[in-house]
Amino acid sequence: MKKTNEKYAVELKNVSKIYTLKQKNQGNKNQSFYALKDISFKVEKGEVVGILGTNGSGKSTLSLILAGISDHDGGEMIINGEQALISINTGLNLQLTGEENINVKGALLGLSKKKIQDIKNKVIEFAELGDFLYQPVKKYSSGMKSRLGFSISLALDPDILIVDEALSVGDKGFAQKCMNYMEKLRDEEGKTIFFISHSLSQVQSFCKKGMWIEGGKLVEYGDIEEVCEHYSAYVDQYNSMTEKERRKQRDEKFAERVIKKPIKKSFWERILK
Amino acid sequence: MFKSIAYVLKENFSNVYRIFCIARYELLADMRDSKFGIFWNFASPAIQVITYWLVFGIGMNRKGYSGVPFLPWVIVGFAAWWYINPCITQGCSAVFSKINVITKMKFPISILPATVCVKEFFNHLCMLLIMFVALFLFGYYPNIYWINLIYYAFCAFMLVESLALVTSVLTMMWRDVKKLVVSLMRMLLYLSPVLWPAAFKNYPFMTYVMKLNPVYYIVTGYRDSIFFNKSFLAHPAMTIYFWIVVIVLLIIGSSLMYHFKRKMVDMI
Repeated sequence: MKKTNEKYAVELKNVSKIYTLKQKNQGNKNQSFYALKDISFKVEKGEVVGILGTNGSGKSTLSLILAGISDHDGGEMIINGEQALISINTGLNLQLTGEENINVKGALLGLSKKKIQDIKNKVIEFAELGDFLYQPVKKYSSGMKSRLGFSISLALDPDILIVDEALSVGDKGFAQKCMNYMEKLRDEEGKTIFFISHSLSQVQSFCKKGMWIEGGKLVEYGDIEEVCEHYSAYVDQYNSMTEKERRKQRDEKFAERVIKKPIKKSFWERILK
Repeated sequence: MFKSIAYVLKENFSNVYRIFCIARYELLADMRDSKFGIFWNFASPAIQVITYWLVFGIGMNRKGYSGVPFLPWVIVGFAAWWYINPCITQGCSAVFSKINVITKMKFPISILPATVCVKEFFNHLCMLLIMFVALFLFGYYPNIYWINLIYYAFCAFMLVESLALVTSVLTMMWRDVKKLVVSLMRMLLYLSPVLWPAAFKNYPFMTYVMKLNPVYYIVTGYRDSIFFNKSFLAHPAMTIYFWIVVIVLLIIGSSLMYHFKRKMVDMI
């Protein structure tokens, strides 16, 4: 694998992402909306960052942008190294057997034929499927499916890993096994990992740095203990509010993210830029 | 413009194994769905051929064209049509049907039209096998001109691939495109010389208009190489016109792919 000498694995400068929303009762008039607004941070190589935030705050959007799946609309993003998003149930074909699915998902992930053969045994062992390997995946329980999917994803060997709620699958034993594997990646191979989870204890024990995103904005980025403390204080405060106050805060936050005057590019402008 | 073509071609050629693997397992999944599996890949075109032969050959008593009986004539036309038709209709949803994959992993989107065309090419090979058996029964034996079929099959592949590049992106922008294309395909069947020669005896001008349809080139090409011992060099003007159409479609398709490759995820 290519090793670049850059100090930072990921550098974001004022990155924004804009979604368009349909407005209620207004026909074709669309509203633009900041999913992410002016996010700037630098992550060093080998760092493990936990991303925290309430629902709809932009965590998953950030993970899509970091993984290079979705494009950002403004700002600058510099990524040194290959990045990959761990996705569990994607690319499994229900009609095919577990063994064939290793080939399918391996191919979807872009592994070569030889590489797939190499990893096959490792995947089979890690997923602990036994004789179910030769059954169609449609007969699997949901835990088994996730185990298979997750095990194949691990075969990727990227420099930057993005884990979005992926470890909340399977039973406790398997989750622990995944955590152990992630810890091995963190400690022995020095991967840069972005870890998104709602389980504060998991984030706290696994990550060294924390990032708190709220309403599409970066609230805090720093030591995990501090960020976790502030975040849980915020959540507690939010929970202690009355229903009315909560709604008011939600509306305020939403209004902040709406763009008053959207810059609309025409169809041809977008194609011929 | 050149950047986008280079990008799409490079992505396709560097992912050849990925394309074949996806196509192969998609076919396999289709077959697993049914009990007889591969049998249907042969049976459904055979049933269609018999239907058209009953209706047009026996019912309407068509005598065939240019000295070729109707059934072999129509089988060869249909062999080409049944490659082009599913490729165009499924090509529209090539990207859309893989939405759960492209939103969850980093994936070279521009290879998706190719996976559809490769997958359908397997079905085309089954159809060609039926066609050869039927031709033997009618007393047509292979000669050197049949090799032209390889060239015309390649033409068909390039046409549907470039068209699928365009329509798959347009379908992501407006889902209506797929519905439009599916309806237009019914029209295209009769605008192509599949069931009839697409020639107007009394209006020669209309016959020229029919030749503007690139499918015309492929279907007549299949017939020329089997019945009329003509190579593709026999129609230089048509050949040049066909490749210009393909290249223009390829340019439009690659530009669309290139500019929307990271935007598709937000178009769901």
